[in-house]
Amino acid sequence: MTTDKKNLKIWIIAFAVVLLYYYGLDHFIMSVQGLPLNLNLTPAQ
Amino acid sequence: MKACSRKLRWFIPGLLLVSVMSLGITGEVDPFGFVGDVYASEALVDEALTESKAELKAAPKPTTEDYPGIGISSRSIVWVLAQMHLFFGALVLAVPIFVIVIELIGVKTGDPRYDDMAHEFMKISMTAYSITALFGGTLALALFLLYPDFMAYIMEVFGAQMMVYASLFFMESLFLYIYYYGWDALRYGNSKWVHLSLGLMLNGVGATLMVVANSWATFMMAPSGVNEVGAVVGNIWEVMKGPLWNPINLHRFIANIAFGGAVVGAYAAFKMMTARTQELRAHYDWMGYTSNFIAILAFLPLPFAGYWLMAEIYAYSQQMGITAMGGILAWLFIVQAVLIGTILLAANYYLWSGMSRCEGSRRYDGYIKYIAFVLVVGFLIWVTPHTLILTASEVAALGGSHHHLLGPLGIMPAKNIAVNLMLVFTFLSFQLYGRSNKIATVPWADMGNALMVAIYAVAIFNIIFAGVYYGYFTNTVYKVGSSVMQVGSTLTVIIAGVVIDALMYKNAKLLPVNWGNVSNRSQYALFALPVAFTWLMALMGYVRSSVRTDWHIYTIMKDTSPDNFIPAIGYAGNMMTMVTVLFLVFVLFIFWIANLSGQKQAPPAAAVTAGEGGVA
Repeated sequence: MTTDKKNLKIWIIAFAVVLLYYYGLDHFIMSVQGLPLNLNLTPAQ
Repeated sequence: MKACSRKLRWFIPGLLLVSVMSLGITGEVDPFGFVGDVYASEALVDEALTESKAELKAAPKPTTEDYPGIGISSRSIVWVLAQMHLFFGALVLAVPIFVIVIELIGVKTGDPRYDDMAHEFMKISMTAYSITALFGGTLALALFLLYPDFMAYIMEVFGAQMMVYASLFFMESLFLYIYYYGWDALRYGNSKWVHLSLGLMLNGVGATLMVVANSWATFMMAPSGVNEVGAVVGNIWEVMKGPLWNPINLHRFIANIAFGGAVVGAYAAFKMMTARTQELRAHYDWMGYTSNFIAILAFLPLPFAGYWLMAEIYAYSQQMGITAMGGILAWLFIVQAVLIGTILLAANYYLWSGMSRCEGSRRYDGYIKYIAFVLVVGFLIWVTPHTLILTASEVAALGGSHHHLLGPLGIMPAKNIAVNLMLVFTFLSFQLYGRSNKIATVPWADMGNALMVAIYAVAIFNIIFAGVYYGYFTNTVYKVGSSVMQVGSTLTVIIAGVVIDALMYKNAKLLPVNWGNVSNRSQYALFALPVAFTWLMALMGYVRSSVRTDWHIYTIMKDTSPDNFIPAIGYAGNMMTMVTVLFLVFVLFIFWIANLSGQKQAPPAAAVTAGEGGVA
């Protein structure tokens, strides 16, 4: 594997892990407040 | 029989004494159920019942005539004294907290410079301690003189807790003096651990003192353990643990450390700029850097503690929250933004200037302009007001009560984005500074860097997304809820940054740091920090206290004194400024005293000659 490809793989893994973490964090924070993530712009109940 | 009756004669009053004392301590009418016991006579039961009725008396309702005056506004006197006591109290409670940490680092690293620095920090705290006590005593006298009914009620509610506070003060003094004066006597080996334990006790007592005193302030804002007319119905614990107690405890604890760090930073800057030798200049440069590090590290989570406090205020009384952030006091939050912006800009500027100490920092120079850009834009958004006081013609010219930019940028979602990004980018400055004299040697350094960049990038996106999407496109409940997401994003950056760097730069190759090789301009940033912190404390302390409006104790005891109104912003601003300047004058006095203790007068020439002659 070339160095460029190796670097690309590192960056993709890093971003994938972090995105997953933040999605989980957002979900957790909103759910403990009794709220869904509500990404479809519906009014809160 | 006689002996028995003699014993009983002493036993009953003794029992009564214990019961009465326990009333004071627990605040309960009959904590042990002793009234009516076989040992007590009917007369004693009646007496106890009478006492219990007396215990359940309502809060006093003084009239304007009941407030003694001395010709000067009573509120102004108490305002200045209370604020000065709080400034110095914050300083003397905070300094030992980071001193013990620095001392411990000195023990762990074996570097005596840490120990010397910790000792020197304590020197500043010692003079401040006496001044704290003097202002505290004067404040108590002023309160008893000018607000006698209020103080009588507070004494009744808190009872024996006041004596606990006084005992803690004695213990604080005891530990403080042993800790400071025993520094050199307990410097090495096991003795050092004894010294550290004394420091721990000092901090334990100091923290307890603070939370006890906090309970008086929070009782005034959100009383608990009393009924609707102010009669005490709970024990002392129920009186203390009101809904705002812990938010205030946390907020003050963190804020004190930030404030203490800023004040000792100014001392280090003063000493560095007056240093005659390069060695001293290097020492005080390092001391100033450490102080700034403490101040800003404590300051970064502070807005979140403040947010929690405000959320609890709103939860306790929406009216109180609106008075603070949507009513007469709302404009002061704009001033708060200016002061916090000043703190962040000064702290960042100090770090960027400090990078000149190390050649390795050149690789990060290019990032500084972007950090500065985000800080300035964030600062401008934060100080953008939502509403303006306008004339009819101005409203007509504007096309409505809100400017097309003030409308969206003046509300909380925009400010939440701004403040979180400012904190994230301030931490970035810290991180770059921390990395500037190191080169990572671990094999996973590339992965660590990629992870850190990804954390920053996604956190920034998440903060902006949460603020814009939930703040402007859904309803209010999401707006409030999503602000916690922003806090989570910022805290993730800070915690991940500290952990990743600690692991990645373990056994790193170190580049030389030239302590003392820093511009004098950067030292003025260290002076700016305590000025802004002090002003900020005066400002927000005033806001916190004023949300009670015309109540001494919210909903329980009305303030009917001639000063029972929220003063105009200009008047309040002048008071805050005056007390800030007064504090700074005292701080300069403390610096002078600390400096004086290190000076020795040279013996007169004649005496030296005579001495020499004697020897010869």
